[in-house]
Amino acid sequence: MRDARDVLIRPVVSEKSVGAVEENKYTFWVNTAANKIEIKAAVEKMFKVKVDDVRTLNVKGKEKRQGRYVGTTPDRKKAIVTLKAGNKIEGFAGL
Amino acid sequence: MSVKVEQIEKNKVGLEILVPAKEFSLAIDRTAKKIAGEIIIPGFRKGKAPRHIIERYVGKEYLQKEAVDPVLGPAYAQALDESGIWPVSRPEVELIQVEEGKDLIFKAVVEVKPEVELGQYMGLGVEKKSPQVMEQQVDDELKRRQDLHAKLIQIDEGEIIDNDIAVIDFEGFIDGVPFAGGKGENHELTIGSNTFIPGFEEQLIGAHKDQAVDVNVRFPDEYHSKDLAGKEALFKVQINSIKRKELVPLDDEFAKDISEFETLSELREDVKQKMITAAGMRLNNEYRAEIVKKAVDNASVEIPEGMIRSKIDSMIADLQNNLSYQGVSLEQYYSYINSNEGQLRENYRAQAVERTKTELVLDAIAQKEGIAVSDEDVEKEMVKLSEQYGRKAEELKQILAAQGELEWFKIGIVSDRTIDLLVENNDVKKEEPEEETENTDAGKKE
Repeated sequence: MRDARDVLIRPVVSEKSVGAVEENKYTFWVNTAANKIEIKAAVEKMFKVKVDDVRTLNVKGKEKRQGRYVGTTPDRKKAIVTLKAGNKIEGFAGL
Repeated sequence: MSVKVEQIEKNKVGLEILVPAKEFSLAIDRTAKKIAGEIIIPGFRKGKAPRHIIERYVGKEYLQKEAVDPVLGPAYAQALDESGIWPVSRPEVELIQVEEGKDLIFKAVVEVKPEVELGQYMGLGVEKKSPQVMEQQVDDELKRRQDLHAKLIQIDEGEIIDNDIAVIDFEGFIDGVPFAGGKGENHELTIGSNTFIPGFEEQLIGAHKDQAVDVNVRFPDEYHSKDLAGKEALFKVQINSIKRKELVPLDDEFAKDISEFETLSELREDVKQKMITAAGMRLNNEYRAEIVKKAVDNASVEIPEGMIRSKIDSMIADLQNNLSYQGVSLEQYYSYINSNEGQLRENYRAQAVERTKTELVLDAIAQKEGIAVSDEDVEKEMVKLSEQYGRKAEELKQILAAQGELEWFKIGIVSDRTIDLLVENNDVKKEEPEEETENTDAGKKE
């Protein structure tokens, strides 16, 4: 199994993700190869909390042009982790 | 909020002001919101970022520093209110403790109005001069009017004499070559008016109409045009016509013509009266100024540097204002008078000290004598003023209020009244004892 630090890249800091903290949901950018089980284990280990649910989504990289050259930004994966009631991650956006 | 007042020097006071932690936190929150509306943080719409995100983005220190300013002003104002201190300079602020969750403490050092030690200001015994108008002055004035209404008559025969107006064409040559600006046509030149270069006008005396005259002159050494100064020049002058002023005789006819009066003696009397009134007003102003000056001289006060500085500032601002009407900037003015701001300030200094002292002394007297101006008084003055300017009193008040001048207006009335008081009591010392003795004498007799 991948190490927790290889799974979780960094928190997603946006209006939506910060708002979701209210509902005990924490959003992370994660390794695109990581699966929900790995993510759950990683979050539990890293933050010493109990995870209730993990939902993931793939974010496809965008096509970027530099003149006539076409390139893409990397694909990414987001994971929205719901913690069990009573658990919370302190200083979420400040990681 | 609490204040600790500490006397630092004479006329200098330190205020240690404490703003409660809670209030300061609220201020920081407000500031964070304000900043949120101004910067864009990726992932958030403008103004939507929560406080902890902003704090991380701009830094806690910055946020706290920013939060201080809006708190400082009101706290300072309130502190002045509570301590009853009336500053005359801008405060020098020093932050002592700025930390969220703790009280905000800062120190403001201000200069305060100095204590005025009033000297004698009642019964100053300044002599009032009554206006004097010499008969000679009246005569001069009448002559001036006579001159003003003189008729111009054409002289076709005869020579030019002093005070005539010669209508001339002229062209000037230096070394036989015409020079720029040396030419004119149908120029009306009054002989003896010294409008042309010295020697020019004199050489026309004795000339006839339609005569051509060569005038040889030398430009003065200090002539404003460098090219011409000190040069010999020849002017070819053609006399087109000669006009002579013919004075109307000073008689009843003249009086009827130029005024509503029937006889010359009436006109003369009127002129005299007007001159007396004018002189009286001038003397009265001088008299008032003299009294004020004496009262000010008798008082002693140590004027703080800050007051002098701000007075000089306002004098320079006035100057700048006046200059701008003439379309001249302050910098241009400095180069005209060959000076700079430092020198100007130095020059203004004595005047500034005098004015500041006058203000302080008048203020102190007003306070001591309990001269106060109510809103009604302001209203009344306003009406008076509005009649002068032909505007509605309400309108005027609004204008003044909009410019924040209402307070000054009030101060102006107070100082006027103070001066009135001083003037009224100018002679009091001499009169009072006399009256008293008279009264007691009378009482004994009865």
